[in-house]
Amino acid sequence: MSEAVDSMTDFSAPTMIEGTAHVVAVEGNMAWLVPETGSSCGGCASASACGSKGIGTAASRLEARRFQLVNDAGLRVGERVVVGIRENTLVRASLTAYAIPLATLLSAGALAQWAAGSDTITMVAMLAGLALGLGLARLGAGRLLVRGELAPRFIRRASPGETCNS
Amino acid sequence: MKEYVLLMISAALVNNVILARFLGLCSFMGVTTRIDTAVGMGMATTFVITVSSMADWAVEAYLLQPYGLGYLRTVTFILIIAATVQFTEMIVKKVSPPLFQMLGIYLPLITTNCAVLGVALLLVEGKMNFIGATLFAFASSIGYSLVMVIFAGLRERLALADTPRLFAGPPIGFIVASLLALAFMGFSGMSTS
Repeated sequence: MSEAVDSMTDFSAPTMIEGTAHVVAVEGNMAWLVPETGSSCGGCASASACGSKGIGTAASRLEARRFQLVNDAGLRVGERVVVGIRENTLVRASLTAYAIPLATLLSAGALAQWAAGSDTITMVAMLAGLALGLGLARLGAGRLLVRGELAPRFIRRASPGETCNS
Repeated sequence: MKEYVLLMISAALVNNVILARFLGLCSFMGVTTRIDTAVGMGMATTFVITVSSMADWAVEAYLLQPYGLGYLRTVTFILIIAATVQFTEMIVKKVSPPLFQMLGIYLPLITTNCAVLGVALLLVEGKMNFIGATLFAFASSIGYSLVMVIFAGLRERLALADTPRLFAGPPIGFIVASLLALAFMGFSGMSTS
């Protein structure tokens, strides 16, 4: 029988979102890593077996998400590691990338509809709002990057058999 | 103004995409193990649904209806949704490569999400103007995100609870989802007329 939930467990304490990645290159003091895909649905689990590097395949998508880490732990090519980001970082990044453009898009559309009442003018205004929002999102993302919030952190070396889903 | 507010409440709560129309259940069950991933997926889906619905409305109004090409609607909308996902990937990658590295994993999952196509077909059926269609799509996706986050919160607590072995994981998840659907049925008593 598993243990009961500890009533003193602090659900509000910040935690890391962990994921596994493997080292594909080491250049001086920096290591390049590629994330390993988890199975958020059956399609991804089968796609992870795909070894081809064609455009749009799971393998090429993961390759496009290569990231760098400072190699303080002396990682070697082929090693699997567990990396993490703070849990509120993902929320903040999502809001920056998607909420800001959506807010400007809808505001511009509402304003155009109120002022002109024409579908075509509203459409053009929304596209302009989207473009403005993307520019603001770029500025916001730059600020997050400067604060170091977007970079994954090295947590530990992955044990054999450890995956994103374990 | 009032009609748009009621339209949005109806789209988000009364006729919720997941719990009333049972669309998008794949990502609903797959990406709700953590609240943070549910938020990420919800925001990405909201963006894609809103932008693709705008494009779908324009294609329907200026191409399919005037030329009697309604039979191509489903294929055309799927093409537009796939193009929108690719466009979103390109844009996020261009705006901020680190953001793309963090958020890019969710985007391919949206291409095959039936909720995106479902919302597009529903707004065609509703015969709305452009702003109404956009607000309907946005509100539907907000309702989708809301349910994803609620369910993720429940699943996080369930993971720590003492669940019988046979029910652990997806079985108890589906039972909780059905209870959530029952709760949302309470909104169906709201009159929007």
